[in-house]
Amino acid sequence: MVGQELMRAGNLHKTYRKNAVCTPVLLGVDFEVNQGEFLSIVGPSGCGKSTLIHLLGTLDKPDQGEVYFRNQRIDNLPSSQRDHLRNREFGFIFQFYHLLPELTTLENVLMPLMIRHSTLGWLTARWRAIKKAKDLLGKVGLGHRMNHLPKELSGGELQRTAIARALIGDPALLFADEPTGNLDESTGNGIFDTLRGLNQIDGVTIIMVTHNLDIASTTHRTIRLAAGQVESAEPAPARVHPWVFDPRNEGPLRQTGG
Amino acid sequence: MFKVLLCWKYLRTRFLALACIVSVMLGVATLIVVNSVMGGFSTKLKERLHGLLSDIVLEAYDYDGFTDVEGKLARINADPFLKQEIVAMTPTLEIFAMLQFNFRDAPFTRPVRLIGIEPEGRKAVGGFAEHLVNPLNRKRPSFEMTEEAKERFLIKRAARGVDFPGPKAFVNPNEPPPPDPPPSRPHDPQGIILGYAIGHFRDRNAPAEVVNKDVRTLEPGDEVIITTVSGARLAPVYDRFIVTDYFKSEMSEYDSNYVFLPLEHLQKLRTMEDRVTSIQIRLRDFDQAPKVVEKLKAMFADAPLEVQTWEQKQGAILAAIRVEKGILNVLLFLIIAVAGFGILAIFSMIVVEKTRDIGILKALGASNRAILAIFLGYGLLLGLVGAGFGTLMGLELTWHLNDIEKFISKITGQDIFPRDVYYFDKIPTDIQPMGVLLVNLGSIGIAVLFSLLPALRAAMLHPVRALRFE
Ligand SMILES: Nc1ncnc2c1ncn2[C@@H]1O[C@H](COP(=O)(O)OP(=O)(O)O)[C@@H](O)[C@H]1O
Ligand SMILES: [Mg+2]
Repeated sequence: MVGQELMRAGNLHKTYRKNAVCTPVLLGVDFEVNQGEFLSIVGPSGCGKSTLIHLLGTLDKPDQGEVYFRNQRIDNLPSSQRDHLRNREFGFIFQFYHLLPELTTLENVLMPLMIRHSTLGWLTARWRAIKKAKDLLGKVGLGHRMNHLPKELSGGELQRTAIARALIGDPALLFADEPTGNLDESTGNGIFDTLRGLNQIDGVTIIMVTHNLDIASTTHRTIRLAAGQVESAEPAPARVHPWVFDPRNEGPLRQTGG
Repeated sequence: MFKVLLCWKYLRTRFLALACIVSVMLGVATLIVVNSVMGGFSTKLKERLHGLLSDIVLEAYDYDGFTDVEGKLARINADPFLKQEIVAMTPTLEIFAMLQFNFRDAPFTRPVRLIGIEPEGRKAVGGFAEHLVNPLNRKRPSFEMTEEAKERFLIKRAARGVDFPGPKAFVNPNEPPPPDPPPSRPHDPQGIILGYAIGHFRDRNAPAEVVNKDVRTLEPGDEVIITTVSGARLAPVYDRFIVTDYFKSEMSEYDSNYVFLPLEHLQKLRTMEDRVTSIQIRLRDFDQAPKVVEKLKAMFADAPLEVQTWEQKQGAILAAIRVEKGILNVLLFLIIAVAGFGILAIFSMIVVEKTRDIGILKALGASNRAILAIFLGYGLLLGLVGAGFGTLMGLELTWHLNDIEKFISKITGQDIFPRDVYYFDKIPTDIQPMGVLLVNLGSIGIAVLFSLLPALRAAMLHPVRALRFE
């Protein structure tokens, strides 16, 4: 189930500087995540979890240290290649959903593919993309909400839209930064179940930041971040906790075989 | 693809964008209207002036004029180049004069410009016959009275009881009296063609329903007295004349000054024999004017004659129009620049408002260039839509300018375009496609230029800072 190494961070340092004030956040973070693994990151608020996710996801550059993805260094790539990576290999889910307010659910989900294709390419890719987006929305239980604007949806629905958007580009690695942090417990559990299903059935590698230790304890492995370093990384548990399937998730979320 | 979608969505959902569009639209519309009117004024004025003035004028320096017209014409015709380029020539005698008449029993006096012409020749040179009010005269200009004019003239004369100074027979007492004196035919005064504005005035107090507000002060057949000066000695001379027709060029300067009469009559009145003050020349192709002027100047270098094209004669007014147009355009482009600053301000606000969305797009893999393209495209779209509507509005306004002017004049009771002040009885407009195109390109360019700064800021936004932005 858990395969070879997918991403590795080595000795990551990050200090925020504003005027003369330095805020050291990460002071040498080392860890790796394997193919098919569901990794959770926990730690007190403000300890740099989001910062770490941003560094791993090439949204920001470390002051020192390296990030490897499929054994290739990615933190120092030119921005066009980093854009390419984020578009094709990574998916992001944020605490505050971060959907584009002017676009409908369907358009939001389609956005990564629209960014991927040129205008002309989009004309040919369009119908397949729309079908895929509709399928994904159906799988996360939003088949009836495709033409709604974000302001017309509940928090759970927004986050499931964001998940569908993160998945439409068939990412190898999904970053989830407190995906349940803004939701009530049962909705949060629903989202979490969806993520777990993605990992378990579709084999998506997930790195998830969470404050919920119960949830974290059901992932393969948990990293505790404190004082800018990895405090403890428990080995992958022998037994994966049973979970309850979301009733709306009837099958694999990921389109396999194209 | 997403760029187009987002531009479109931002355009449709941003009320502020409407402000940008409206400001560009108003700027473009104003520029088009003003340029059309200015262009209309200047082309119409030039057209009129050129229509009235012959292409080239060979002119004496003083009122006494020059002799030997035939010889000069022959000299000109002897030159093969000039003969080929010149279509028509006609001698003219011009002099200031005073015109007196009675209207409703009150005496009126007007300063006028007397122009002695050969009607056929003047017609060939142009700018005369086509402006005559009597359609018959347009075909074959003459100074003859129409039947009605003659009737009016006779009735008025009879009412005044003036005896006709017919040719007096000389009686010699040594000879028998002549058998039957020939039937005394009254000696009719010479006919003249009067500038339209001399024989009419506009009744400003006329009720609005009256379409033609022009009140005639001199009918065809009415008598006037013209006083001017004789040739060499500049002694006052005068004669009675009869109005036969009107000259209506709609150039108020000419319509209110010109009085045409036959050349020989004016020469006789001024005792100038065959002297004239100028020779009017019409060219086959006005582009050849400088060459022709050169040649004529060389030919008459010894004589006290001035050779000028009509443009040189009217240099001051034409230059004034050009300068006016240039300054106006600079000022008006400032309007669009103001619209540009509006775009700058509004775009900056939109970029701030969209900071988080920009971060999201970058997280999803959008490049900096793509973000730049979104906002530049947005600016372009605003410019296009604004300029498009502005052009429509400008053209529409220009086409209905006279109706609008009438409407506003009616509402405010103020004459916005007092016809007798300007040269025209309608606001002339001339829509120049090149000008409209330039205004469009300029304003779209300004819209894009001013959106460049906010767009660059958006493109340079750090994705993390944008995502953390609240
Ligand atoms: N742009 C910034 N400038 C200065 N300090 C920052 C900036 N962004 C984040 N920080 C600081 O870095 C620390 C880590 O932030 P973050 O990674 O968001 O923590 P977490 O996600 O674990 O709550 C916090 O103390 C925060 O105040
Ligand atoms: Mg955080």
